[in-house]
Amino acid sequence: MPNFQLMRRKFQTEGVTHAVFLSLPVTLFAVFYVYPIVSTFNLSLHSWDGFSPSPKYVGLQNYVVLLHQSRFFHALLNNISWLVFLLLGPTSLGLLLAALLDRGMKGESVFRVIFFLPFTIPAVAVAAIWRWMYEPTNGLLTTVMRSVGLGGLAQNWLGDPSIVNFALMGSMMWWTTGFAFLVFFAGLRNIPVEYIEAARIEGATPWQVFWKVSFPLLWPSTIVVLGMAAVDAMRLFDIVWAMTNGGPAYASEVLATQMYDTAFGRFEMGRASAISVYLLVIAGVIIMPYIYQLAKRVQDSEAE
Amino acid sequence: MSNLKWVGMALGVLASASAARADGPKELWHYYAAGSEKAGIEALIAFANKQNPNNQIVGKVIPGNAVEMRRQLQTAFMGNTPPAAYQSSMASELKTFVDSGKLHDLSETWAKIKGDEIFPEGVQRVVKIGGKPYGIPYDLSLINNIFYNKAIFEKAGLQPPKDYEGLVAACDKLRAAGVEPLGNAGGPFWSLYNFYAPLVSTVGTEGYYKIASGELGFDSPDFRKALDLYRSTMVKCYAKNWSGKTWTQTADDVVNGNTGMFMMGAWAAAYFKQAGFAPVEKFDVFPAPGTEGKAIFQMDAFAVPEGPADTLETAEKFVISAASAEGQAAFAIPKGSLAPNVTVDPSIYDAVGAKFAKELADASKANAVLPNLFFLLPTKVGTELGVQMEKFAIDPSDANENEMITTLEGLRQEALTEGSYLKW
Repeated sequence: MPNFQLMRRKFQTEGVTHAVFLSLPVTLFAVFYVYPIVSTFNLSLHSWDGFSPSPKYVGLQNYVVLLHQSRFFHALLNNISWLVFLLLGPTSLGLLLAALLDRGMKGESVFRVIFFLPFTIPAVAVAAIWRWMYEPTNGLLTTVMRSVGLGGLAQNWLGDPSIVNFALMGSMMWWTTGFAFLVFFAGLRNIPVEYIEAARIEGATPWQVFWKVSFPLLWPSTIVVLGMAAVDAMRLFDIVWAMTNGGPAYASEVLATQMYDTAFGRFEMGRASAISVYLLVIAGVIIMPYIYQLAKRVQDSEAE
Repeated sequence: MSNLKWVGMALGVLASASAARADGPKELWHYYAAGSEKAGIEALIAFANKQNPNNQIVGKVIPGNAVEMRRQLQTAFMGNTPPAAYQSSMASELKTFVDSGKLHDLSETWAKIKGDEIFPEGVQRVVKIGGKPYGIPYDLSLINNIFYNKAIFEKAGLQPPKDYEGLVAACDKLRAAGVEPLGNAGGPFWSLYNFYAPLVSTVGTEGYYKIASGELGFDSPDFRKALDLYRSTMVKCYAKNWSGKTWTQTADDVVNGNTGMFMMGAWAAAYFKQAGFAPVEKFDVFPAPGTEGKAIFQMDAFAVPEGPADTLETAEKFVISAASAEGQAAFAIPKGSLAPNVTVDPSIYDAVGAKFAKELADASKANAVLPNLFFLLPTKVGTELGVQMEKFAIDPSDANENEMITTLEGLRQEALTEGSYLKW
């Protein structure tokens, strides 16, 4: 006959232990994550300059006003272009570099460092470097293009509203490809050699080996890279703010820089909070199903 | 029991830490992080500390600009730990803080330094809110002058133009000689600062203040006329690809002889000097057309937050030192800016600085000292005006002109309803 009393006591002490261990992370989560979100939402229902003692309640007015501003939708559209770019650009280049290097090139360790190095530079420094690269008259990019006879194609990189976003994406590509490269490279190195050899013996071309064997087995790395890219696209701030402040004339603005400008450039804390709530919802809508889907596939592939 | 002892000890440590904070150094927050600016503020703090041995103040850099400063101050005010004093922009910026009851009324200090006598009238206007002074002026720069490369002008046989026809003719001549005529730089300030010249030429000093107080609308024929004048003169003269450059990159273009003229704040003179480009010998200045006899200026002042008595005492002693002729010179010489205090000996300036000082003195006498409109307007109107002006300067189409007028007029109406305009 089992000793119920002993079991109950054991369960109780275990429960207390669990609660003690959980209390710290739960408190941190509540104080530093849940509370700011609730507080931001509350602020978004007010009109407040950030200093006066009493914010004025305005209901959903901030949300409605934003929906009537082309400036807001322009920033949102920019976030979406960044999403598309970050999912495709640095990701595919990183994969390409990883695949090239995985073929056992000479000086592999040197290239590994070179490819990854830009990612270790802080965003503001990257911005300062590229501000000079993109100087339209005597900057490095324009000078190089001129010297190879492509001067006619040189642009007003950061000053032309129709070019600036592509220029920013270029610097982002240089900065973040290293991350995608490193994750893919590690992933490729983890694929058992037998699979590749078996495919080769069966007569598969290198092209087939990559797409039919390596790439499907890289799925866990791909999830990490794509997931990070999506998150980066939504929270994008530093590169844009440090290089253009969202300009010229809002052309390169994303929601996070617009929120910052609205809050501290114009003292409209309530409206800035409304932008951040929109951003949270949009990021949730875009990223959550995607993370859910990808996580499910990881589970499936692990189960196999 | 032992638990209680630990709690007691922890509380004791916390209490002593907060006590230490109250007794700690009194801070002066500023965003002069590098170069001549940093040298200026350090010289001023050293001077003030020497004068007030029992009320030492410590400088603290808030990296960035006015916007970063606001963010830091907001957090500090929430936590009730504001600095003893800080670098503030003028006019509307001060008003926001005064309206929320955060700033200390400096009337007594103002009387001690004889503020009404030592500062020009136009300067006084922008540090007084509701008739009371809340800021001590110390860092003034004129923004209505055009710098030019002397060698380029000599080679092209040009004299500094006096009016808009002359300016456009000079631009044509420079362009024909293969030089970009007039530099400008990207961002919401520089095109706007350039626009003040055509604006003042069109609406006059009185109209300028009427726009600042919201009485003159952005949809008025006068404002459109000023935009058209800006478009047909300066915008036409701007260098290729100007919007993709920072102001220092454009200043480099002037030094390198790629660009002939550059309308920029007086701080460009300090940059030229640092680049080995000597005033009067290599470069010189002339007032932008329509601003002769007038002085349009950008200025920073020290503001003092409300706080405990001993912190206020230190802050007041510091700003008194900073307002004195010696204190103002201590800052202005390394920084290369003008001292707003008119009793400062003009011999402290270099040749170009002396020109600026004379312009300011003459304009003071004529009552034509105009503060930067950006800071006179309610913050959101001023910021939007800057953005719209950059957009218009990049693409001066009729569509952009109309859109600008509609957007700004909408904001003006909104700000009028909210009562955020002020008569300066």
